Amino acid sequence: MLVFDHVSKSFGDLRAVDDLSFEVEAGEVFGLLGPNGAGKTTAINMAVGLLEPDEGVVRFTDEAFDRDPRDAENRRSLGLAPQSIALYEQIGGADNLRFFGRLHGLRGSDLEERVVACLDFADLTDVGKKVVSKYSGGMKRRLNLAVAIIHDPELVLLDEPTVGVDPQSRNAIFERVEQLREGGKQVVYTTHYMEEAQRLCDRVAIIDRGRLMALDTVPALIEAHGGPGNLVVRTGDSESRHETTDPLGTLAELQARQAVDHFQYLPPDLEAVFLNLTGRALRD
Amino acid sequence: MNKIVAMAAKDIHILFRDKLGFFFTVFFPLMMAIFFGAMFAGLSRGPANIPIALVDQDRTAASERFIERLGQASGLAVEEIPREEALEQVRRGRTAVLVTLTPGFGAALDNPFVATPEVEMTVDPTQFAVAGMVRGVLLEAAGAELQDLMSDPARLGAANSQNSLFFESLPPSDARDQMLTFLDLSPRVSSLIDEMGLGAATGGNQGFFGPPLEIEQTEVQAERPGPTNSYATSFAQAMLWTLIGGSVSFSMSIAIERSRGTLMRLLVAPVTARHLLAAKGLACLGATLFTSSALITLGITVFDVRPTSYPLLALALLCGSICFCGIMMALSVIGGTEQAAAGIGWGLSLPLSMLGGGMVPLFLMPEWMQTLGNISPMKWTLMAYEGAIWRGFTLNEMLLPCAVLVAIGVLAFTLGARNLRWDTG
Ligand SMILES: Nc1ncnc2c1ncn2[C@@H]1O[C@H](COP(=O)(O)OP(=O)(O)O)[C@@H](O)[C@H]1O
Ligand SMILES: [Mg+2]
Repeated sequence: MLVFDHVSKSFGDLRAVDDLSFEVEAGEVFGLLGPNGAGKTTAINMAVGLLEPDEGVVRFTDEAFDRDPRDAENRRSLGLAPQSIALYEQIGGADNLRFFGRLHGLRGSDLEERVVACLDFADLTDVGKKVVSKYSGGMKRRLNLAVAIIHDPELVLLDEPTVGVDPQSRNAIFERVEQLREGGKQVVYTTHYMEEAQRLCDRVAIIDRGRLMALDTVPALIEAHGGPGNLVVRTGDSESRHETTDPLGTLAELQARQAVDHFQYLPPDLEAVFLNLTGRALRD
Repeated sequence: MNKIVAMAAKDIHILFRDKLGFFFTVFFPLMMAIFFGAMFAGLSRGPANIPIALVDQDRTAASERFIERLGQASGLAVEEIPREEALEQVRRGRTAVLVTLTPGFGAALDNPFVATPEVEMTVDPTQFAVAGMVRGVLLEAAGAELQDLMSDPARLGAANSQNSLFFESLPPSDARDQMLTFLDLSPRVSSLIDEMGLGAATGGNQGFFGPPLEIEQTEVQAERPGPTNSYATSFAQAMLWTLIGGSVSFSMSIAIERSRGTLMRLLVAPVTARHLLAAKGLACLGATLFTSSALITLGITVFDVRPTSYPLLALALLCGSICFCGIMMALSVIGGTEQAAAGIGWGLSLPLSMLGGGMVPLFLMPEWMQTLGNISPMKWTLMAYEGAIWRGFTLNEMLLPCAVLVAIGVLAFTLGARNLRWDTG
């Protein structure tokens, strides 16, 4: 279990992460949702021990252990897919996997099995020998993710894994994340796309300017902070929007007053949650 | 250890995949070796005035006349200096040939009937082409002397009467009388030939006397022989360049790992900073040892380079690589980004190489420049390489450059490793 306990980190005057606490439980996809600059990557870097918190502690705990992120034993059990693609472009995809596998102590047939499995996972089996510089953006993204799991870690940290990816590859990545959850992994998934968090994450931590604004399951967050939904009705060429928590009642009321040709109900979503929590839109 | 090897192998794999890295570590040095080797091979075949040293131990009017004739001959720049100094010059490769006119030379020149004039030629064995040319000029001058003598009845007569006196002093015999008759007639040989109208056909009288000059050639296989061929120098330089190319490429590779984010991956993996540094050092050492050994192997097999000692060559290869892998680590600290690493790497390497003999061979540089070159690691590398390839260093002589190289390497590596930025941005 990954535990953040009142963790803060500043760069000069800037408090990139401010008193952040959460726990990631086994078998869940845990989302860190926030706009660019919210402090997601900084939090991830502290989780993997690349950065040291100024205040608070980051621990990996279990019934059996309580480890620092920098612990070598701990490193074997976590895999990171960095936000910016981190691969050796001059060598093949399979060679990248093989190299990082060896760094994690894999050898011989164990290593080759994992390489084959990860190429398959990333849907790159046919191009495993091709040098990475010839890959498309989507292929690199998938390999970036596959390298993170070459050593079959317990906890996988995916930092904005869909940035700069076409919709098709994005769907492929969603499927991979679901596959990881089914395999019983813990996944930490950061994103600034609320649809992704809504679709993939069991629980979502909403952060803004380094602060944790809310943390819960998606339905609970919407329930608590989503506010009313929107009922959109159209009569002829004119369209109107009506905020409501009771769409059926509102529709009946409207129909009593006017003819309604079409209607559409937009339930509250994480976008609305973020707006209500911060007073700002998630997307710039 | 396995992880270190894995990381080093990956780096070497990438180096040889990287076209620019490959160019600077393999292709460019090889081109240099062949280009400069061919160029200097061409040069040693005969630039305009070949400088030769001359020692006149005879000191007669005749020897002075001969020297004057040599001075007028085209293609030589004759310098008369004391023998010891001249020998030293040949040893150091500053002069290709030393010509010594031994006592008795002048007498033989004035009287070729008794003895053929003799000179000693001391040559640098690498300069055999130049030596051949000097030999030709000497023979030509001696031939001209002889012709002058034959066409001057007064001088010929003087020589003959001197010889007649000598033969008359011997006990009488048929052979002696015939010899005296021949001497009586010989001054007239050329006029008799002229009378028959055969002057042009025989081309003078040299034919009577065999070669006009005997040249005794000795080679100075001195304590500092010159390179066995011009490729011996140029391959040593090429090996230096492969070290430079390799160290710059590897120093860039650390910056590249940082900018491409793979450094982050490495730091998250269960390896320590120590592992990482060891792997970079090992990869650089392995790659530069491999390329420099491959170059000299090519030099030996194809370009007839003959190292004077293989064990010392192996030692020199190792020490050179150690030095430049240390420099690589220091460079990667000074240059934070790959562009900076490359810029600083090449910016420092070029002038230091020039000074260290990486472009123009050290033995062609003026003394003060060679001294100044001591600040250049490139000079010590070349000294070690050349020491094993053609300077014929002993183990003792090899220790100095090797110690300097290892010291620079260890110092630079330590400084670099201590100050390396581990942040991943
Ligand atoms: N190494 C750093 N030095 C200075 N400022 C940084 C550094 N890393 C991140 N920041 C700043 O901290 C804030 C949070 O950054 P980051 O964690 O990357 O946000 P996110 O990943 O959510 O987009 C940003 O304002 C960013 O500019
Ligand atoms: Mg980020």
